Amino acid sequence: MLVVAEREQLPVQQARDGKPEAWDILFRRYQLPLYVYVFELVHHEQTSLDLVQETFIAAVRNIGGLRDDAKFGSWLFGIAHQKCIQRWRKQDRDEVSLDEIPESPDESESGPDALLVRQEQEAEFMQLLNQLPLPQRSVLLLHFVEDFSIEEIAGITGANAGTVKSRMHYAKRALKKLLEEKK
Amino acid sequence: MKTSREILFKQHQTTEPKLDTIRHEIVNAEFVREGRRVAVPKFRVVGTATLPLLIWRELIFPCRRIWTGLAAVWILILAANVSLREHSPAMSKSGPTPGIIMSLKYQQEILAELLTDRSAPREVDRQKSFSPKPHTESVEIQAV
Repeated sequence: MLVVAEREQLPVQQARDGKPEAWDILFRRYQLPLYVYVFELVHHEQTSLDLVQETFIAAVRNIGGLRDDAKFGSWLFGIAHQKCIQRWRKQDRDEVSLDEIPESPDESESGPDALLVRQEQEAEFMQLLNQLPLPQRSVLLLHFVEDFSIEEIAGITGANAGTVKSRMHYAKRALKKLLEEKK
Repeated sequence: MKTSREILFKQHQTTEPKLDTIRHEIVNAEFVREGRRVAVPKFRVVGTATLPLLIWRELIFPCRRIWTGLAAVWILILAANVSLREHSPAMSKSGPTPGIIMSLKYQQEILAELLTDRSAPREVDRQKSFSPKPHTESVEIQAV
């Protein structure tokens, strides 16, 4: 299992000072997770690359707006999430409904990152992930890719923590169900 | 067994070279070095010589359209004010009209009348005042 790098050790302050080397380290750290997240939402390689590029540019230009250096990762994903939404609106795609899932705060659950997949199921896993509704997929991807907390995901997606928790629960349950059906 | 993160990253590892290219382009761009200056402006000590320039650069130039609009509105107001003053019939003539003079004279007369001593009865009032007469005399008058 890959270990997510310590966010506190990233040279955010140096990046604020306009040091290209610092930006290089930050972008190298986040380029693949960001790309994975964006691609799994938009499913188009060139669009995803464009969105990652736009996210990086926006990060450089708006680094002054980042209050807490330790939250650089979630801040960057928040920019990428907004860029995806802007792109959808621009392309006049189907409206993304974010309210279709009821709340379910009662059930305790282990994190989706604990979900282990056998090698022969990898392709199926990707296929099943894409079958999930967009809001659930977004929440699940953020948790898979960067192990963000509920609060961080809420900040990135602009939803409240209860909604995020609910989506996480339903996404995990749906994914497990689909995987069991395929066995 | 693999985690979902490992599977996702494995699926997209082939895109890494393209992402590297994007990263290099952005990191080597000029605006990266200027990022700090754009994001958080530093406070500087300003001398009197550079003050007008600073006011122009910081206050007027960024909002030049708004300032231009405000100036245009003020010019319009002033122009309208001047043109109204020129075309007003009351303001265009040098002296007061005969009607105004008559009105003023009448007002002065009324004022003088009001201010005269009212304690001494006037001639008209004296004639109208009641003078007692014998009862028989008043009856004769009625008979006639």
